[in-house]
Amino acid sequence: MRRKMRAASLLIAGSMVLAACASDETTDAGGGGGAPAAEELRVGLAYDTGGRGDRSFNDSAYTGAAAAVDALGGELQEFSPNEDASNRGEGLASLAEQGFDPVIAVGFNYDEVIAEVAPQFPDTTFAQVDGSNADGAKGENVTGLIFAEEEGSFLAGVAAALKSEAAHIGFVGGVESPLIQKFEAGYVAGAQAVDPQIRVDRQYISPAGDFSGFSDPARGQIVAQGMYDAGADIVYHAAGGSGIGVFQAAAASGNRAIGVDSDQYLTVDDPALQAVIMTSMLKRVDNAVEQFINDYAEGNVEGATDVLNDLSTEGIDLATSGGFIDDIQGEIDEYKQQITDGTITVPTTIE
Amino acid sequence: MAPADPPAHDAPVAGEAPLAVELRGITKRFPGVVANRDIELRVRRGEVHAVVGENGAGKSTLMKTLYGEHRPDEGQILVDGREVVFRSPADAIAAGIGMVHQHFMLADNFTVLENVVLGSEPTRGGRLDLAEARRRITDISDRYSLGLQPDALVEDLGVGDRQRVEIAKVLYRDARILILDEPTAVLVPQEVDELFANLAELKREGLTVVFISHKLDEVRRVADAITVIRRGTTVGTADPRTTTARQLAELMVGAELPTPETRESTVRETPVLQLVGVTVRDAGARPVVDDVTLTVREGEVVGIAGVEGNGQAELVDAVMGLRPLAAGSVLLGGQDVTAWSTRVRREAGVGFIPEDRHRQGMLLDAPLWENRILGHQTRPPAVRGPFIDRRGARADTARIMREYDVRAPGPDTLAVALSGGNQQKLIVGREMSAGPRLLVAAHPTRGVDVGAQAVIWELLKDARAEGLGIVLVSADLDELIGLSDTLHVMLRGRLVATLDPGQVTPEELGGHMTGARTAGAA
Amino acid sequence: MSGLRRVALSLFGPVLAVVVALVISAVVIALIGEDPARAFGVMTDLGDSPSQQVQSIVVILNRAVPLFLAGLAVAVAFRMGLFNIGVEGQYRLATILAAAVGAAVALPGPLHVLLIVVVAMAIGALWAGIVGVLKVTRGVSEVISSIMLNFIALGLASFLLTGPLRGSPPGASIITTSEIPESGRVPSLNGVLTALGLAEPRSALHGFLPVAVVVGVVVAVLLQRTRFGFDLRATGLSPSAATASGVDARGMVVKTMLISGAIAGLIGLPDLLGTQYDYGTEFTAGLGFLGIAVALLGRSSPLGIAMAALLFAFLDRAALPLQFADIPASVVTIIQGTIVLAVVVANEIARRLALRSAERAGATAGPGPDPGADGAPPPTAPDGGQRARAGVPGTSEDVRR
Repeated sequence: MRRKMRAASLLIAGSMVLAACASDETTDAGGGGGAPAAEELRVGLAYDTGGRGDRSFNDSAYTGAAAAVDALGGELQEFSPNEDASNRGEGLASLAEQGFDPVIAVGFNYDEVIAEVAPQFPDTTFAQVDGSNADGAKGENVTGLIFAEEEGSFLAGVAAALKSEAAHIGFVGGVESPLIQKFEAGYVAGAQAVDPQIRVDRQYISPAGDFSGFSDPARGQIVAQGMYDAGADIVYHAAGGSGIGVFQAAAASGNRAIGVDSDQYLTVDDPALQAVIMTSMLKRVDNAVEQFINDYAEGNVEGATDVLNDLSTEGIDLATSGGFIDDIQGEIDEYKQQITDGTITVPTTIE
Repeated sequence: MAPADPPAHDAPVAGEAPLAVELRGITKRFPGVVANRDIELRVRRGEVHAVVGENGAGKSTLMKTLYGEHRPDEGQILVDGREVVFRSPADAIAAGIGMVHQHFMLADNFTVLENVVLGSEPTRGGRLDLAEARRRITDISDRYSLGLQPDALVEDLGVGDRQRVEIAKVLYRDARILILDEPTAVLVPQEVDELFANLAELKREGLTVVFISHKLDEVRRVADAITVIRRGTTVGTADPRTTTARQLAELMVGAELPTPETRESTVRETPVLQLVGVTVRDAGARPVVDDVTLTVREGEVVGIAGVEGNGQAELVDAVMGLRPLAAGSVLLGGQDVTAWSTRVRREAGVGFIPEDRHRQGMLLDAPLWENRILGHQTRPPAVRGPFIDRRGARADTARIMREYDVRAPGPDTLAVALSGGNQQKLIVGREMSAGPRLLVAAHPTRGVDVGAQAVIWELLKDARAEGLGIVLVSADLDELIGLSDTLHVMLRGRLVATLDPGQVTPEELGGHMTGARTAGAA
Repeated sequence: MSGLRRVALSLFGPVLAVVVALVISAVVIALIGEDPARAFGVMTDLGDSPSQQVQSIVVILNRAVPLFLAGLAVAVAFRMGLFNIGVEGQYRLATILAAAVGAAVALPGPLHVLLIVVVAMAIGALWAGIVGVLKVTRGVSEVISSIMLNFIALGLASFLLTGPLRGSPPGASIITTSEIPESGRVPSLNGVLTALGLAEPRSALHGFLPVAVVVGVVVAVLLQRTRFGFDLRATGLSPSAATASGVDARGMVVKTMLISGAIAGLIGLPDLLGTQYDYGTEFTAGLGFLGIAVALLGRSSPLGIAMAALLFAFLDRAALPLQFADIPASVVTIIQGTIVLAVVVANEIARRLALRSAERAGATAGPGPDPGADGAPPPTAPDGGQRARAGVPGTSEDVRR
């Protein structure tokens, strides 16, 4: 009986695969290889885990790419990986295989995958958001779109330290990864530049390798609540979708929070939460992606380089929406100046 | 014997109580099988009417028809003289018919009150009206002397109490006609007495009881009228006052009956099993088997009598190695096996017919040949080295089916498809096939129809004649007295009496079992 | 005759499940304004060129291998009535430690791989064994303890990865262990594909595929053909009957968990030894949980699990072309979910039908064909059809354990 059952399931699954094979037998070969689509711009955009609709960097990348395609004409093809992101590489390669060019990968998680795929499609131009290719190790046709998050986080730290009445602030990281540690390092350095004695509570929602910390508002709220309870009055989050939880904790305890990536004062829907978002550290993935596509259209992409987006290029900035930090804008601008002219070097790692 | 024209009450005499239920020519077919054929049943109002028949004779199918669980293909159902059509049990309940199932359907972690109202909760303005329910339940309990405590948790209740909860549940739904499906199967003798007292109360209040059973003595004690079903059809009715159990049984089986009596003693000298001071404690360190010492010789059947729950099950477990001993030792053929595992004991020649074949004796969802392997996983013909010998097991299963009269399509049939009797015959055949030295048989004919019972008795007698030692635990006193060479009575974990089965009567034995008699020949 | 009927019955469950799932999915697709026929067409389109088709099949197989192993790990425990939810933690911990050991030693080729495999199996078994020991000695439900151990395993893996076993340079975005050297890697099977006259695919076909097949066969034989497997299944069907038959239930719990864990330890190896060569923060997670669905779908039989894994992998791959056809890839998730649900329901229906038909067969077997029906008792009444209904679970009367 059990054996028969097995045979049955074999038949079904087998026939599905076979049917799939058979149906293609007659179609013409030679579609592969990446035939260049000369005239029309065909942009491929491969998202990181979470895909479109994450209200974070994936969406930001889409905004940029859509703006560029709108302006230049052409087509935008998106790819969102499956839940465990095991088909990242296959998606990236498929985009290239289908002739999309340029192909833009979003997120450092593409580091290994893009290094494998890009050399297989030497005629395609690749870019990776949050991934460096200054040394060309990922292939001659890959451009890194990287950000000086530590600089913006530094300014966030400055703002927090200036605004904190308790000389006690907090930082909630989504996942304890090197990228998020960059945020933390800049934030702490900025706060300490203002007040060397300031207390900065720091906590991550999930450990390295467990990406749930970017999409777990409930835990974000618990962690932030703990900080507010301990006396912190401003908490900066670099936790993607979990950040909503941080805002909720701030609203519930009558404190304030700092957003990340986009101007969250503008993107958060809830007026109650809007009121607690003092500022946001802006990471203009949209600008970087749009700029890259424009560069590509103009034939200005070399590959094997990094495009650094920082305070000086306005790829990184501190939002002023809501006017909560207008009174300290002067001091913030001073620090900004010192960073751009090199007087202050912002650390990227925690000692 | 052709009792197609049974002794009495074939047709109700005019002027007697009107009929509460009448079934006319009920036929129910399942694909390929006629389960009920031309059933005629007349139940008078206010009587206890027993429906008897072997397992598989079609009693349950008939009761399901009456309870609306399925519709008959032919025939009529009349309740209180009016023809009714039941589309579901809800219709039957609405017509005042209630069913008390053999297997209780109670939620253990609910109180009696909650269980009774479950499914027909009284509401007042949308809220549960427990006060009203409590009043009604107390009322029902008092009226029929059910002695229910509405707030007791069902899990704390004994079997008899649970059954009364089931009865209360049916009464709560205003049933006037109660169907009781094998109500005594789960009860010990005292509880049976209590149940019968309850039934008398119901009767006095004018309720009608349809009582399904195959225990003929009980039927004769409690019923006002009896209808016998054989092979799916009614073969006659009988008056319990004028019919003997034996006549009833012959009506049921359609032939003359075998008896459990053994012919002559085959007891030899060599002991197979010796228990020395065996003590088993329960979780609370209370001794449930207390210092039991006994010997089983080759060719000897040693019967253990006792009211259920007096340590027989634990004693069986101790012999089989399923329960650790607190003290004492178990010797098999003179060798101390106290520390041996169940498997090693079985390999050493101990056969086991467990008390609950569904729980301990079979894999219901497995085919018969796999059930042939169960308990013999280390021995041919079921296995070869570390591997299962499927062909060997199938062939040997076919042999057992042949030799032990197990009725099933083949070795690949699922065990669950067999009737209780056939399952039990398979178990007996399996255990005998391994050529055991000792057989531990716990209630070997429980829930088995009369025909299979006879086969099993024959088999045990034959094996005994060939030198097998048998430990027989049973609640069937005729079986114990008939088969045993030596009879021990177990009470509260101790062997309190050793009797000569040749001398003792069931009444005397019952007295010893309840502790009323303490004399004993021990 | 009855054989044919039984085949039909056994086909009924999975076919019904797939059909129901497809219908529900089609409705959902239509509701979101897409054409179901087109969606299914896209899903079954493996590509235009031979190399694309081979590539698609390689993608399916590569995905199916770890799913198959995960399903097996869950199923072995299932068959004995144990719910090993801890497969996730078992494979993650096993993979990182195996990766670390593999990177730390230098051995000749096959030996190196063997060592990594043995370490992974040992760690998986050890981690699952804790569950078994806790259950046997302390009576802790394996569901609870394996969930708890998942958290511990994931935390431990993170700690090891970012701490003592970190092999990637400090600045790297992805934290990984050190790479396993060439000798510890399993070569791809692309050579076999080309030797078969197939087009060379873009990706490497996991060299671990044959290992998974062997593991599947071994598990199938173990479960179906050995005494041990019989004891295991018997315990799963009825613990009390197995104990009475002489099975040491406590020992079986521990042994089964060890086997389940050892198989779980293999789940990460196809990726580790075939493509990644290290364990890092982006290593595929969640396979242990997917394995539960795969085992369920495959009815805990090795061949069924293989089919279920292939079906899941096939659907997973379809997510890609669906996106390119501008159909939301969540269609795939919906189909996967409905299939699993439908299978659970359909299995139950098929089981009842099979049972009913078996009972009817038992009932009609009535007047024995047996010459052995000798003198003693006359044949009793043929089983009047009562059991044909009585044994069907769910009918109100006969509640069986």
